Amino acid sequence: MAMAFEDKLDELRRREERAREMGGPEKLANRAAAGQLNARERIDHLLDKGSFRESGLLATSVPPEDRATTPADGKVSGFGRIDDRRVAVVSNDLTVKGASSAATNAKKIAYLKDKATRAGMPIVFLGESSGARIPDVMDAESMAQGGSDPQQYCRRRETPWASAVLGPCFGSSTWYACLSDFVVMRKGAVLAVSSARVTSLAIGETVDPEELDGWRLHSDVTGMADAVAETDEEALDMVRCFLSYLPSHAGEAPPRLPAPEHGPDGEALLDLVPDARGRVYDMRKVIAQIVDGDSFFPLKPRFGKAAITGLARLGGESVGIVATNPMILVGALDPAACRKVTSFLALCDSFHVPIVILVDTPGFLVGVEGERRAAPAQIMNMMHALQLCSVPKISVILRKSYGQAFLNLGGGRNSDEIAAWPSADVSFMDPQIGVSVVLGLRREDDPEKFDAACEQFSRGTSAYDMAGVFGVQSVIDPRDTRSYLCAALDTHRAAANNGLGRRDMAAWPTYF
Amino acid sequence: MAEIAVESEIAGTVWKLERSPGDNVEEEDSLMILESMKMEIPVLDPDAGKLVAIHVAEGDTVREGQVLATLELE
Repeated sequence: MAMAFEDKLDELRRREERAREMGGPEKLANRAAAGQLNARERIDHLLDKGSFRESGLLATSVPPEDRATTPADGKVSGFGRIDDRRVAVVSNDLTVKGASSAATNAKKIAYLKDKATRAGMPIVFLGESSGARIPDVMDAESMAQGGSDPQQYCRRRETPWASAVLGPCFGSSTWYACLSDFVVMRKGAVLAVSSARVTSLAIGETVDPEELDGWRLHSDVTGMADAVAETDEEALDMVRCFLSYLPSHAGEAPPRLPAPEHGPDGEALLDLVPDARGRVYDMRKVIAQIVDGDSFFPLKPRFGKAAITGLARLGGESVGIVATNPMILVGALDPAACRKVTSFLALCDSFHVPIVILVDTPGFLVGVEGERRAAPAQIMNMMHALQLCSVPKISVILRKSYGQAFLNLGGGRNSDEIAAWPSADVSFMDPQIGVSVVLGLRREDDPEKFDAACEQFSRGTSAYDMAGVFGVQSVIDPRDTRSYLCAALDTHRAAANNGLGRRDMAAWPTYF
Repeated sequence: MAEIAVESEIAGTVWKLERSPGDNVEEEDSLMILESMKMEIPVLDPDAGKLVAIHVAEGDTVREGQVLATLELE
């Protein structure tokens, strides 16, 4: 080899090695001691072994004095594979200037988003960033430069996006988490507009970091986190699992796995759902007795809990499960539950995932608190979403389905097909409340008259009354729910356009 | 250790207490059963920990958002 080239190759190797050292051994050792993976280890855990192709390894910060100390400019990015399917990934490196956003790494992310969208692959954001790089951004020129892409934050869901919030997330990592279809938050990580310190300085009062941005806030109160993980590794595994249910891009159907040889036998369903009207039960146990093995992957399980949403498989096919949970608020949907269902419908509709709805609800939760949270608007948002959805929708009424919630959960022509269990009870409202409203009568006033009126108001609400007027297409043995759903999904899969829907919800916001 | 309040998600009557102060509880254990809308509704523990106090008695009426119990997190 010519001497000149040997020198050049040495330099290339030296620069590459330096870039892979990230923020230096001391910072990396501190992370390891705290049980946290570094930006590159996270990529290695997320992707199939050896599949990472880095893009922008030798990029650095623009100011000359920072170039030697900003490997990859604090955001490691590139392409790789998950379960042998292509993905793009950005992993924020907090050891390099707090993974702050600056001119070069903004170009890297813009490039990755553009190429991943064009090629048709999901994007994974591994979040941990301190926000915009100060002082680089402290002037008008950099502000004008930063806003030069008018589509930077516009989601059309051409491909799935997933975010793992794995450390302090402010600025960029927060924005991309909010725009993602799936957000998993590691306990101890934070997600906020800006840090407690910056926020405290800005508003002139002390802010409790946990209250501002912790996992509990986002899993239980805001619903911005779809899942919570104990460790980096668990969070990354959840990203892999989430993507396994979805197509790589919106131009194809979700991947279909071979149907398992045996599903749950369904016998347990008869014991899980009590016959007594006043008894509640846990719908999650019902779901487990219907879907393939342990395929149920809940989304936002700690938010709006009267509704259950999650991805699962039925006979190997990806499905979105929407259900009410009588265990929580008797299954009455509050505004949070409506928002949760609406955002889930947007996900399913955007990526061609058929929807299965399991219904046992007395209706919407009424009360002052609900009205303060715009319950009517959330109910109509959910209804609007359901009617926009063009994926197959199959619903099953287990027990109660009352009032407007009957329609919001697929009643009438809002599903392609509806089945009722023999225990189904469909009406406008609970007969006891109906009696009080119409006759102005309370039971304690005149029990005999009240009970007689209740008996009258309870007539004509059975599964057979619904079947008689073709309000449901079938009344099924609960034990056959799984086989019924598999067959119904097969019937209603659109043959045209390879089973792809219209995706009318693709530009629906990821949070609203 | 951090303490959190377990609040009622619904207005109703306390029908039955199922756990006592001092008990160690797991996430989703039923702490008590409320009666509302003619249904028996369990109050599920939000997190694993130790029950420090129960602030209601059987037969009490409770309003939405009322603190029912205090939990010390593990």
